[in-house]
Amino acid sequence: MSSFPNFAWGQVPLALLTLFIVINYGMIMTALVRKIGARVGGRYGIPIWQNYIDLLKNIALRSKISHGVMYYLAPVFRLTGGVGLLLFVPTIYGSDWHQNFSYAGDLILALYFVFFGTLGMALGAGESGHPHSAIGVSRGLSQVTMAELPLALGVYAISLQYQTLDITQIVAAQQGSIFNWTLFTNPLATIAAMFAFVGTMMRSPFDVVIAPQEIPIGPPTEYHSSYLALMQTNRVLFPVAKTVIYMNLFFGGATNWAEFAIKVFVLYMLTAVIGVVHPRFRVEQSIRFFLKWGLPVGVLAILTV
Amino acid sequence: MVSPLLILAAGLGAAFLLGLLRQTSERAAFYVTIAALGFMGFIALSWTVGLALGDALPVMITTAGTAPPFAINLFMGGMEAALISVVTLTGLLSAFYMRKDLLRLGRRVMAVLLVLIMALSGLIMTRDLFNLFVFIELIVIASAGLILLSRDTRALGAGFKYLVVSQVISILLLVGVIFTYHANGSLNIDDIPARPMVFTGASLAIFLVLIALVLELKPFPANGWALDIYESAHPGFSAIFSAASGTAAAFAAFKLFDVAGPAWLPLATGIGIVTFVGANLLALAQSHDRRLLGYSSVGQIGLVLMVIGQADILGATLPYVAGGILISHAVAKSGLFWLSGLVKGRELSDWAALRDNPVLIVAFATFIAMLTGLPPFPAFYAKWALVHALMANGAFALTAAFLIAALIEAAVLFRWFGMAIKRESRRAVVVNLTYEAVVLLAMGTSFVLSWIWGAASGQENLITLVPLLFALLFLPLDIFPAKAKNLLAIAGLVVWFALSFHGLDPIRLVFLIIMVLGGALLLLASFHAEGRRMGFYTPAMLMFAGMALLITSETSFQFFAAWEFLTVGSYFLILRGHDSEPHALSYIVFSLGGAFALLAGFALASGGKFTFFVSELSEIAPQVAPYVFVLLAIGFLTKTAVMGLHIWLPGAHAEAETDVSPMVSGILLKAGLFGLFILLLEMGHQTLYGIDLTVVLVWLGALSAFVGAVLAAFQEDAKRLLAYSSISQMGYAVFGLALMNHLGWLLALMFAINHFVYKSMLFLAVGGVKERTHTKLMYKMGGLITLMPYTFVSVLVGIIAMSGVPPLSGFGGRWIFYNAIMSTDLRLPMILVFMSGPVGFLYLFRLIHSIFLGQPKDELRMVKEAPFWIVAPQMLFVAFLIAFAALPGMILRRVDGYIGQIFGDQPLTWSGRIVDSQFGTWNPVAIWGVIAVVFITILLLLIWMNHNAQRVKQFNIVFSAERPFKPQTTHFAWNFFAPYRKAMGFLEAPIATGFWTGVSNALHGTAEFTRKFYTGNGQTYAVQLLLFVVAVYLIVLGSMGGAS
Repeated sequence: MSSFPNFAWGQVPLALLTLFIVINYGMIMTALVRKIGARVGGRYGIPIWQNYIDLLKNIALRSKISHGVMYYLAPVFRLTGGVGLLLFVPTIYGSDWHQNFSYAGDLILALYFVFFGTLGMALGAGESGHPHSAIGVSRGLSQVTMAELPLALGVYAISLQYQTLDITQIVAAQQGSIFNWTLFTNPLATIAAMFAFVGTMMRSPFDVVIAPQEIPIGPPTEYHSSYLALMQTNRVLFPVAKTVIYMNLFFGGATNWAEFAIKVFVLYMLTAVIGVVHPRFRVEQSIRFFLKWGLPVGVLAILTV
Repeated sequence: MVSPLLILAAGLGAAFLLGLLRQTSERAAFYVTIAALGFMGFIALSWTVGLALGDALPVMITTAGTAPPFAINLFMGGMEAALISVVTLTGLLSAFYMRKDLLRLGRRVMAVLLVLIMALSGLIMTRDLFNLFVFIELIVIASAGLILLSRDTRALGAGFKYLVVSQVISILLLVGVIFTYHANGSLNIDDIPARPMVFTGASLAIFLVLIALVLELKPFPANGWALDIYESAHPGFSAIFSAASGTAAAFAAFKLFDVAGPAWLPLATGIGIVTFVGANLLALAQSHDRRLLGYSSVGQIGLVLMVIGQADILGATLPYVAGGILISHAVAKSGLFWLSGLVKGRELSDWAALRDNPVLIVAFATFIAMLTGLPPFPAFYAKWALVHALMANGAFALTAAFLIAALIEAAVLFRWFGMAIKRESRRAVVVNLTYEAVVLLAMGTSFVLSWIWGAASGQENLITLVPLLFALLFLPLDIFPAKAKNLLAIAGLVVWFALSFHGLDPIRLVFLIIMVLGGALLLLASFHAEGRRMGFYTPAMLMFAGMALLITSETSFQFFAAWEFLTVGSYFLILRGHDSEPHALSYIVFSLGGAFALLAGFALASGGKFTFFVSELSEIAPQVAPYVFVLLAIGFLTKTAVMGLHIWLPGAHAEAETDVSPMVSGILLKAGLFGLFILLLEMGHQTLYGIDLTVVLVWLGALSAFVGAVLAAFQEDAKRLLAYSSISQMGYAVFGLALMNHLGWLLALMFAINHFVYKSMLFLAVGGVKERTHTKLMYKMGGLITLMPYTFVSVLVGIIAMSGVPPLSGFGGRWIFYNAIMSTDLRLPMILVFMSGPVGFLYLFRLIHSIFLGQPKDELRMVKEAPFWIVAPQMLFVAFLIAFAALPGMILRRVDGYIGQIFGDQPLTWSGRIVDSQFGTWNPVAIWGVIAVVFITILLLLIWMNHNAQRVKQFNIVFSAERPFKPQTTHFAWNFFAPYRKAMGFLEAPIATGFWTGVSNALHGTAEFTRKFYTGNGQTYAVQLLLFVVAVYLIVLGSMGGAS
């Protein structure tokens, strides 16, 4: 096993366990958040197990079409992006079980792997030939160019602060007290990163990418059946995997699943709350927004660290 | 040795003999003329060879049996012999060339021709001032006679103007001669230094003599009277007028300046440089070929005058420098005038007719390269020596003026060459074997002269370099099929690599692999070409020769010569593209501008030493070091197309041929990067006005990375998109280098490798698409994925690698980038780099989506996969990218160790296949493993669930309950990033283009304005001439008064 020094077969079931927990957590949590949103709007909302129903329904659909190879592969790319992201990042700090395959790389791997699914998805959506898919991709990519910038600056600031790119070490440095969290030790970097967090969670005011009114659901327009099932799975998994990174970098990480559940929920709720009370930005507006607000905070963060 | 006096005797004697012949025996007269000219040339040549080999000694010939000053004496030394050879041989060849007209006009004209050549030879040899005057009078009268050879009626007017103004000059000279005799008591030139007249109050005397001789050189702006001659005279005579008369007059001026003493040298320098600048500027505005050549002649002779003015600093190298320029001018200019006889039209674009005969194109290119001072021609060595001497003596302003004017000259000439290659010819080329033979002789002479100057240079003799000879070998081989030549070219590159890679350090080795083996790999795509593909292999191999020599160069001379080779080679290559005329021009102008900055930088660094090792850059004095750094950096940054100096790149790369684009983008850009590596390696941090110059480079790199990416996202043309992306990628590399730390350098090297691979691959892919669809506009394509699957795969892998998404090799670059910026104090430039990363997705996605995805167009439904030979190298690149991504250590480890020696640190630990830094980990094998397993598992899952999915036809989409109308309206592609443009479109403002267009317009405007002085009126010209003399006199008087 000398060529795979950190690998052990035992890691595989453990990683699958992490995956299982996170998917189910995501299923329930996102449904819960939708339900809360509905109640805020005075509606009754969906049942809490709605996501499972949708998933089964989509898998069970009998009409299945394909627009070509990339179209076929896009959900695979998408879900691989979500699963990979989860597996490249340690989920629970201090637990031997849930370190996943984080030895493959560091923070930079996670940051760049975020785009893996996006890129694959965009390609598949493109092959469907639907203009709404392409428009959605155009909007999404345009927006993400600026939305990710505060995160990059925030991450740069904290990696300078902690003098490491290793996520586990960053989490370790935040242990002991709530005031050791990056949120308190480096609030500017945290605020900058949270701009990016809100900006990339596909919620209002930054959800013009899937703009349900004008270009129904954007890139995934043409997807149905098991394709959509895979994407739905990713839609519950990916936000959680991404939130885990933010939680690890800025909010002290999680030492057990309960802490994990709470922190992820709170962070996720943050975008939900903002989304419920804000109307949607056009793409150029959100780009300007990030230039005007996210960028200066990020610049301050890297200058003051 | 035959007495040199016989040169004069033969000319004069033959001229008289012609008078004895019968009126009707023109043929006999012609042969007598040829025989006389041949004999004169033979004597001159035999003296040249004899003196050069040391078999003969310079000789002073006294006439009338009396010693000077009581009788005229003539001197035959090395310079005289060489220049008389130029004069007589030009005369001989021109006589052949004008054969038909000489026969038509009869023996009288032949006699005049003989007298002219005799007088020019006499002018060179004589040491007597009055004799000088006499020869000049003879020349003027003979020239006026020969001008009438032309059938052009304007020649009459031109000849008359010439006579009028020449007489004014002669009067000035005569008055000067009289004054000199009065002041000095002798008319012998060698007696002048005995009494330096500047101090005896008789400065007016020597001034008049000097100014008259200078006026013979047709200085700007007092030269309107002479230019009409170039325009209207017979090209054979214009060749003599430009090459022989110019040479003789320049030497006469030299003789007098030589004896007048150093106090008068600024006169020569001043008028010389003003003429060189002014004439080249005016040449910009010319559309008439011979008039342009006239301005160019004036400019070149002005340059020689300027060099004469540097006699004090050039010392013993003066003949080498001035001779190099003068002889290059003589051969090239007479060659061009002769060539002009083969072209029927007089517009510059009429030279497109030369394309009928490729040999003539080669001759044209040779002459232009010779005039521009490109290697391996004599003017190149002269330029090198001149700039070194000037810079060593602190003549910075003069150097700058010289180089800028030389750049304008190059722009004029290459614009003309571009027209000849790209425009349509309206009239066929003249078929005349005599003309062609004369032109080819001139071309052959230019190579012989190159060898002589190279041998005398004390440097490498460039014409004997094997790679250059290999490139030139393809000229005669051009008659063979392209595929055979391609095989030879690939073999040549591989063999050269095998011969030269030993003993190179890992950085150089990586660059050599990219440039030479990478070149061989890209040449595989050239197997696609059908037929003979004339004119492709010589420039291509010239470019590769330049790059191979660049990597192995040790001295600044070798480096610079290699740099010029690769520049010129790539220019000819780029020019081959269909619409590339303006872009190739802007490429060569920027490249030569950058090269001149390099030249100035090396000259400044060496302090005048001709042999300067590149490694000595680290030892230069701290007070000049920052300036050297700036000059060299400008040169290299022009090549990497840093923002501001980038405007040449998009057009040049986008309009080049399918297999040329990857060569000039994937490979050639690395030359600039290599230069920066060397510069920073040797010079490191330099501070100018308290600013660390590497910090400036960091900012420039970051700016290029960002703006290049944004501009790429806005392109509709696929190749332009890739070209802008190169600007961005090179920006990253410059940024990494300028960080001046270990990981920054590794980053730059990683970018060099990656950029070579994926940019070559993408340019080939897009080129293959263009071959099939006949367009580069992406919105006209769409849905090509099923028709061109291999090309799609290569683009897919290319964009994943380039975007930095794991698991492909671009990610390694990003990982090193983050580790590199962790160990630097610079923070703010990172913002730009962070911004440029995601913008990369924009243009990359657009590239793949608009071409391969979306709706296929009706007219492209039958498109086939790209040709095999274009796809084959792409597949090799794909394999490499995947291997390099999994096992980066196979290349990087050695380089990393070497960079560690430079910086004295080792921030990366390579354990097995894992790379660890102080900050993090990169485990490429694990990344591959996880991604591959997850991907395959999910794919299998999907196939299990969806194996029975039905493949649907185009337009079977959910489209507002309707069927889409047609692909054109359904394929969302044009202005793809409209929202991004709304927000960031202000970055598109063409600031750099606007600036450079402004510079170009200002130059053209100045030229157009100055043209107004050239009224065409002989009297006005005479008055201008006198005013010029008065003005110069006042300036000289003022400056001398100031000095005393």
